[in-house]
Amino acid sequence: MRPYFTTMDPLGRELKKGEIKRTQVNLEAVLAAEEEILGAVETVRNAGFSTEKINARGQMTVWQRLDYLVDEGTWCPLHTLYNPCDNPEQTTNVIDGIGRISGRWAVVIGFDNKVMAGAWLPGQSENILRVTDLAKRLNIPLVWLVNCSGAKLPDQEKFYANRRGAGTPFFRHAELNQMGIPVLAGIYGTNPAGGGYQSISPTVLFAHKDCNIAVGGAGIVSGMAPQGGFNVEMAEALVDRARDHTAKPPGSVRVHYDETGFFKYVFDEEEGVLDGLKEYMKAIPAYDPKFFRVAEAADSPFSPDDIPRLLPMDQKSVYSFDQVLARLVDGGEHMEFRKEYGPEVYTGLCKVDGFLVACIGNRQGYLGKGYPEYADYPGIGGKLYRQGLIKMNEFVTLCGRDRIPIIWFQDTSGIDVGDEAEKAELLGLGQSLIYSIQQTDLPMMLAVLRKGSAAAHYVLGGPTANRHNAFTLGTVASEIYVMHGETAAVATYARRLVKEKEAGNDLQPVVDKMNDLAQSYHEKSRPLFCARTGLVDELVAMTDLRKYMKAFAGSAYQNPKSICPLHQMILPRIIKG
Amino acid sequence: MSEEILAPLAGKIVKLHVEAGTVVEEDEEILVIEAMKMETPVFAPCDGTIVQVKLKEGDEVEEDDLIAVIE
Repeated sequence: MRPYFTTMDPLGRELKKGEIKRTQVNLEAVLAAEEEILGAVETVRNAGFSTEKINARGQMTVWQRLDYLVDEGTWCPLHTLYNPCDNPEQTTNVIDGIGRISGRWAVVIGFDNKVMAGAWLPGQSENILRVTDLAKRLNIPLVWLVNCSGAKLPDQEKFYANRRGAGTPFFRHAELNQMGIPVLAGIYGTNPAGGGYQSISPTVLFAHKDCNIAVGGAGIVSGMAPQGGFNVEMAEALVDRARDHTAKPPGSVRVHYDETGFFKYVFDEEEGVLDGLKEYMKAIPAYDPKFFRVAEAADSPFSPDDIPRLLPMDQKSVYSFDQVLARLVDGGEHMEFRKEYGPEVYTGLCKVDGFLVACIGNRQGYLGKGYPEYADYPGIGGKLYRQGLIKMNEFVTLCGRDRIPIIWFQDTSGIDVGDEAEKAELLGLGQSLIYSIQQTDLPMMLAVLRKGSAAAHYVLGGPTANRHNAFTLGTVASEIYVMHGETAAVATYARRLVKEKEAGNDLQPVVDKMNDLAQSYHEKSRPLFCARTGLVDELVAMTDLRKYMKAFAGSAYQNPKSICPLHQMILPRIIKG
Repeated sequence: MSEEILAPLAGKIVKLHVEAGTVVEEDEEILVIEAMKMETPVFAPCDGTIVQVKLKEGDEVEEDDLIAVIE
């Protein structure tokens, strides 16, 4: 199959001088917006105690631990800004992402020991479940940096119980173990109660000498039976008992290394724990990349710095998706599937870091005379029509057959609407695409380049494809909403306007409400909102998209659960004809 | 040698950046047509001078209507 993949068809071209000139304003807007995102990330990084204060206690921060643990240049953070419950701490208090450790890809997550000694906070279990789902989807190890003081007690009702509450990750750890996916844990600090289960639920435990893990901590041990309230005499008694237990926290290394043997290893130095994890990661099952690479890894011949010029911040501007894609894939090469059919959608095979991936993306702009073939109005890219939906159904099904991971790129305003579209079966074809995705067992990732809207956000490999979508990225141009805010205002208030008009009333109060709704839609679809609420798993600089694609492809091919021999693939043959 | 700039699709001209006598470079944006809620830019096919502009901002155009001539 070497002739298929060594050199594929060329995609894209260098920017012309006129394009460079007219895209300067957009470039500056993108870079300014990305600076704003970096500011928000810095706020999260600086949450809680300072690095100096933690270091003065003889501890590393979670950021320093990650930096030491993960191979240089491979860290792809996820959920950095995720804060769905709007915690005043600005974080769910776990820091996670994908990175290589000792040359092997892993999902890595750690408690932020700068914030309340790594306490459970609202929204944290949802964050952790995204991470365990990610390890499951990509079939790669999960590495924990446990340092968890247990629940933030005043907020316990927000996260302790419920179906996806703070205990659910322990079941997920069990599920990962049962699937043969190891969960490694480096353990630091005091880990009582919830922290104890965070520590005990992984597969192999690497302990720091000063850590402890326990069913209950000193605070619980020193408690007393409820007596209907407190008084000063009781408080004095509590002080004495708490002092005693603080001096002897339960579950120390003496108990859980010497007695129970729960800790497999104990290290005197913080770095020693991380070195232990690195050593074990060398022993994790992982194919050498050469096993699945279809060609030598190669950069795109075009600069990634072109992407912030090519991808407009203005939601109404059209651009060339092919030009963007050419800057994201090896060699700027591809094999396009059914080029002449369904022109609003790109479907093709590309290489990322030498691995074969399938790419699907919305093309933009006017689609040419006579398209869509079932209607008398012009077709515009970003919308989905009959042919595009059929083409994607075919492509996804064939990718499933050939076991090729899929990378989706969304910039969609939705599926075509109206009676002509209904007659063209678009409702059924959209759901057919969902069926086709679900029929596969492929890892997928999504980059919402700009708009993610209407049902198209679901059917184009969106995060709603829970079992398939490993993670979803956003850019500073991303907007995600069910429809544009002004469209929603019309849908909501059009009949009300008619009633007010017929009653002879002033329309201004309704107009004000329409403007309020449109403004609300705008605010609740912005990139930062999408990141905080988890509509995307991370906002990334446009120039970093390829880095995440490489992490995805490398992870997907590290230890795949199912493979198709290259010479038995059918999709490349169908493309070639 | 002159080249005609034609409307690539039906819609409304929402931006027109040139007039007769304007010197343009290849790939410079000449005008923008709005259709189906999206704005489609039309670029200069070559370096040159605009010698005729047949339409103005706000005009509706049909596909292949003559918009301007570049020389």
